[in-house]
Amino acid sequence: MTQLGFYIDQARCIGCEACVIACKDKNDNPVGVNFRRVYSFEEGSFTEDKNGSFIQNIQSYFLSISCNHCDEPKCVENCPTTAMFKREEDGVVVVDQDKCVGCRYCEWNCPYGAPQYNEELGKMTKCDLCIDLLEKGERPACEGACPVRAIEIGPIDELRAKYGNVSEVKGLPTASITKPNLVINTHKDASE
Amino acid sequence: MNEWPLLIFTIAMQAAIGGIFMLWVYQLRCKDKENLDMFNLFKIPLVIIAGFSLVGLGASFAHLGAPTNAFNTLRHVGSSWMSREILVTGMFIGLTFITAAWAFYRKKVSPWLLLVTALVGFIDVYCMAAIYSNSLISPWNSIHTFMSFYGTTFILGSVLAVALLATALYRQKMELEAKQFTKVALIIAMLGIALQVIGTALLPVTMTEVNMIEASAITELLSGYTGMVTLRWIISILGIALLFFLAVSSYKKSFAALSFIMLLTFVMSEGMSRYVFYVLGS
Ligand code: SF4
Ligand code: SF4
Repeated sequence: MTQLGFYIDQARCIGCEACVIACKDKNDNPVGVNFRRVYSFEEGSFTEDKNGSFIQNIQSYFLSISCNHCDEPKCVENCPTTAMFKREEDGVVVVDQDKCVGCRYCEWNCPYGAPQYNEELGKMTKCDLCIDLLEKGERPACEGACPVRAIEIGPIDELRAKYGNVSEVKGLPTASITKPNLVINTHKDASE
Repeated sequence: MNEWPLLIFTIAMQAAIGGIFMLWVYQLRCKDKENLDMFNLFKIPLVIIAGFSLVGLGASFAHLGAPTNAFNTLRHVGSSWMSREILVTGMFIGLTFITAAWAFYRKKVSPWLLLVTALVGFIDVYCMAAIYSNSLISPWNSIHTFMSFYGTTFILGSVLAVALLATALYRQKMELEAKQFTKVALIIAMLGIALQVIGTALLPVTMTEVNMIEASAITELLSGYTGMVTLRWIISILGIALLFFLAVSSYKKSFAALSFIMLLTFVMSEGMSRYVFYVLGS
């Protein structure tokens, strides 16, 4: 099995959310359901100096996150119906809509907010890495839409060989919980 | 707050489980009273407790987005606490109905059925708590969840038993019995309260670090609900005072009315406590 995963170049990300929109459009998701989300982080403040000027230590950065198709997916482990499962062939984690009972337990067990409940269906939905597009030899929606090429999808071994092993940045939960298939090029303000 | 069905489910099931346990406690105390018509005393409590478990079952279905797939929830008993809980809840409800049906059919109560049902019920409370304490939601990811759930089981079980069983004893002119049993219930309710007090004290200490994206620290979350938490404890203290009064005074005329007020008081305080539990997590 070749495990697929994401490379996110956080240093490049400008927070435009083109990936969010492309994903939403491709999956035809209703309001509030976002398989990919861009989180923004800000900290620091402006303080007045003695001579009346201002000094600041503002730090801000963005992080685009969807499902990381984890090696130890707690969503799969805890799903009572086995609807949430990891595919043998590529390690992509998907929801079998025929089995899902809509209990939302997977939401409580994903560190990344990946499972997205669809009220209309009464069932869980999530990023499937655009496996349908990949099969046709096309690029997944988010990857194709990013204007700064901050997202790359591929076999995680290759991504790690190219970009390293970082999968935790400031603002993200520890990778030890689910072992995400994610590589990040950390923004300067987001290194821990 | 959008977890109302889960709130009703956990409260109703824990009341039913505690109630069955208290019926078992009562029959244990009266084992050698040969001429006591246990069936007559137990029939209404049994029906009401079975009713509670059905309310719980209904609420649990209301929580599901696709209830027609409900049977699928038993597919992952090997690794999902939710699966295990649904299995054990089903067993408890089944056993409660068997216990009631047996009593009505044989016109006598089976202590063994009561005991087995209560034990399965206690396992069920464990499974319920494990669902939350194994999740990544930090206010739930703590031993506090277990103490809170077992606390509610003992509290609601004993006050339910006072309202249903002690009043029946009064009606049958067994005043001494009624009073003694109310004292036992008081002790068990106090035990439940003690579990909850210790659990609440432990919550900030045993909390896990934030392990979900965009989650807030628990102390921050809790600070928004201090008013409600305080009110909940005041109501609990009122309830205990009322239960204490029922256990010691010989004022028996309004025993039934007072015991129902006390039951309502505790349903309210436990409901509020559970409400805070769910808003902290969602
Ligand atoms: S990111 Fe969340 S939903 Fe995706 S596999 Fe990991 S735990 Fe499951
Ligand atoms: S909502 Fe569906 S996929 Fe998620 S845990 Fe429940 S049954 Fe599994």
